[in-house]
Amino acid sequence: MTLDAVVWTALVLTAAGSLSVYLLAVRRLYLMRSDRRYSAGGERLATLAAALAAGDLEPANDPAQAELELLAELLARYSRQLTGEARSNIAAFFERHGLIARELAHLGHRRPWRRARAAFLLGDMCSQQAVEPLLRALDDPSRDVRSAAARSLGRLGSGRAVEPLVRALVEQRVPRAVGGHALLTLGSEALGPLRPLILDTEAVVRATAVELVGLLGDANDAGLLTDRLRDSAAEVRAKAARALGRLGAEEATMALREALGDRIGFVRANAAIALGLVGDRASAPALLEMARSDEFDPAHAAARALSRLYPELLWSAARDSTSGPHLAEAADLTAVAR
Amino acid sequence: MTALRAALEVISLVAFGYFTALSAIYLVFTALAWRAVRRYRRARSYSAVEEAFASPLTPPVSVLLPAFNEEAGIVESVRSLLGLRYPEFEVIVVNDGSLDRTLARLAEAFDLVPARKALRTILPCARVRATYASRRHPELWVIDKENGGKPDALNCGIGAARYPYFCAVDADAMLEEDALLRVAKPILDDPGLVAAAGGIVRIANGCRVEHGRVTEVRLPRSRLAVFQVVEYFRAFLVGRIGWSGMRSLLIISGAFGLFRRNLVEAVGGYARGTVGEDVELVLRLHRYLRERGEAYRIEFVPDPVAWTEAPEDVATLSRQRRRWQRGLGEALWLHRRVAFNPRYGLLGTLAVPYFLVFELVGPVVELVGYPAVVASAALGTLSVKFFAAFFVTAILVGVFLSISALLLEEYNFRRYGDDGDAARMVAAAIGENLGYRQLVTVWRVLGLVDLARRRRGWGEMRRQGLGYTPAGGASKGR
Amino acid sequence: MSVAMATNGTPLVLVADDDPDILTLVGFRLERAGYEVLPARDGEEALALALERQPDLAILDVMMPKLDGYEVTQRLRDDPATSGMPVILLTARVQEADITRGFEAGADDYIKKPFSPQELRARVQAILGRR
Repeated sequence: MTLDAVVWTALVLTAAGSLSVYLLAVRRLYLMRSDRRYSAGGERLATLAAALAAGDLEPANDPAQAELELLAELLARYSRQLTGEARSNIAAFFERHGLIARELAHLGHRRPWRRARAAFLLGDMCSQQAVEPLLRALDDPSRDVRSAAARSLGRLGSGRAVEPLVRALVEQRVPRAVGGHALLTLGSEALGPLRPLILDTEAVVRATAVELVGLLGDANDAGLLTDRLRDSAAEVRAKAARALGRLGAEEATMALREALGDRIGFVRANAAIALGLVGDRASAPALLEMARSDEFDPAHAAARALSRLYPELLWSAARDSTSGPHLAEAADLTAVAR
Repeated sequence: MTALRAALEVISLVAFGYFTALSAIYLVFTALAWRAVRRYRRARSYSAVEEAFASPLTPPVSVLLPAFNEEAGIVESVRSLLGLRYPEFEVIVVNDGSLDRTLARLAEAFDLVPARKALRTILPCARVRATYASRRHPELWVIDKENGGKPDALNCGIGAARYPYFCAVDADAMLEEDALLRVAKPILDDPGLVAAAGGIVRIANGCRVEHGRVTEVRLPRSRLAVFQVVEYFRAFLVGRIGWSGMRSLLIISGAFGLFRRNLVEAVGGYARGTVGEDVELVLRLHRYLRERGEAYRIEFVPDPVAWTEAPEDVATLSRQRRRWQRGLGEALWLHRRVAFNPRYGLLGTLAVPYFLVFELVGPVVELVGYPAVVASAALGTLSVKFFAAFFVTAILVGVFLSISALLLEEYNFRRYGDDGDAARMVAAAIGENLGYRQLVTVWRVLGLVDLARRRRGWGEMRRQGLGYTPAGGASKGR
Repeated sequence: MSVAMATNGTPLVLVADDDPDILTLVGFRLERAGYEVLPARDGEEALALALERQPDLAILDVMMPKLDGYEVTQRLRDDPATSGMPVILLTARVQEADITRGFEAGADDYIKKPFSPQELRARVQAILGRR
């Protein structure tokens, strides 16, 4: 290391440090100005945006170009809180000003984050014109883009999106939470393509389908789901029990009682929860036994189910000091809730 | 005399080498962090937080709050946790044998009533005295146990947790409303793969706090605390992001981290009797998963924030830093087999060696190096000019790194809105290199001395109402 | 229609949410429908305003700082001065347990977020018209 090298390093560092501080100051100044501009017109624009969303304004009253971006930002945000007619009004605004076209063009951008942002924004702009391009974006090489597209398709509420979304979910092209939620927002329309997947050859697919049908479906799905209580995959059996509980499927009672004897603990636990939800008082003795002697999670679930089904039985059992911790907890909790 | 000169020369050379390597590493990390933070910030503009909040598919989380002598802030902390935006979660407060009125305060504020609770006994912990449920908040449990230290309390909390993931939070930490949703994002994206995720810790001193939430972000008045604010930028935004990108994140702060419960149970939970239990757990998870050849991720997420209080007096700060250093040393010693072992991938070949050389032993090199270099210059082994130039450069490197960390914060998060605060942060970024960092180095060496002497215990806390909270292990800062 | 009248004759509706967007949207819609709107940013403010101004209806967000919507509802019910005040909960939490908890706290109705402004207005009219 020579002296010169050290001195040069020092000089470069000083320059770089000063430049950083300068950048910081300039940016602050710039942001301060734009903040001020924003807050000055903020309230008026918010009311304007609310009026636009409500359809109370004629297109002729649309704002000047300068305010357009701010208004677009507000409306995109508002759209997340709104359903129904307000969304068509918002869509009309974005279409009128060519903003849909702009974001659609960005869906083809070479940088993944630009594509992902466009896919996300299109969901907030409410325009049905975006559905087809977003469906294509479900095949994008970047996971973020696929995920944003799935989310937006859910928001746009188009029935056409159901099948491609189910496929993307099943092929694990989109995260389960995002894809699943998009289908849930699409509502019962999603049931058609989901039902056959309950019998898919892959266990992961069956489990996802069973769970979603449980969240979206109705009593008519009980038969199909009941059969899955005998699935070869424990995950599917557990999800099926859970789903039957959610649907309150009384005709599944017998099969659920049988599932209390499942080999796998979390299947037994889910079956117990389901029996509690279905309201099958006849299963109380079996649940009581389970709460006393099963492994932690199923015993816990059984005690909770019992507190729903048959509190009197729970209390009398819990008075016995040998009844174990789960019955004691459930009994004490019912007392707290009262 | 010649022997002394030779020795001085060797020490000086080692010190120069060490310093040059460290600077180079930090510069590389700063560059990596810029890339990663920018990518993250962009991703935030299309992350579906609202959807995750409304979705029944978002996995439920048990939030664990171990508390020891926290009467001053416990009610606010719990209230802030109960107000988190998350679809399904429970809050479990573990009162670790507090000697003050922690339990009584909780009982008053949340209308607690005794309720028996079934507890798993997979992980060992001290005896539980009683458990309480709340009349007003069905998702709140309070567990009163005998004192056993923070790791012990956390193990107990895990035993009470109902859900498949748990989030450990310090009793003085205030989570932002969306913090849990954001830190859970990696799990939503990749539930099978992600074993743990940690968020960022920021310093609450000086901020306006209402009902357990930070409502206005301001710098603290105390200069010592401002130094720590800037120091945390470096540690979190530069350090953690870099390691997380290399899949070798060693530290998830004890103040705020999300874990898959069954994995933590499988590795035996938190190590009782250690002060660096958070680093130690993460290391153990890495080892466990790598030894089994499983694909996994342990991720750092840079914007879910836990605000915590930093010590404002020198004595407490020094105790905190000594403890962090000791905790880091303990954890690395326990897992010394990982170091330089290619079987553990970048973790073994890069991350653990880095922590050993630069974070653990580094302060000693610095402390011995400074006087040796000065002596060399005085004895004429080294040209005084060169010495002066090098010394100035060394300070400048530090300043540059601090300022670039500040810039990273400013461009991507800009939490500090006040312009006066921004100016003070620039001043602190420069100032912390003229004394503060050197002081920290001394404390860290003392921490190693403590480690060698195997001193136990937390050291007494001076801040009002704060129990063992600064024991974020080696974690909060480094 | 025997609507309980506020001082100036138009029914007064309390709207509490920490999200300013919701306040704007709900406020705009209700004002257009001829109601007077009383906005609040958190649970404590909502409770204080409810006691002080005695609105004809309260629309409360569930997740609010300081006091959540359930707790505000509960306290309104516990206070004889406001125990009869109709409460609509506005919530993004639509798990079964959350909805049950809202009704148990004493809410009269709930509206799911995202919401339809038309539906909101219809429900408000239905509740105010009933009394």
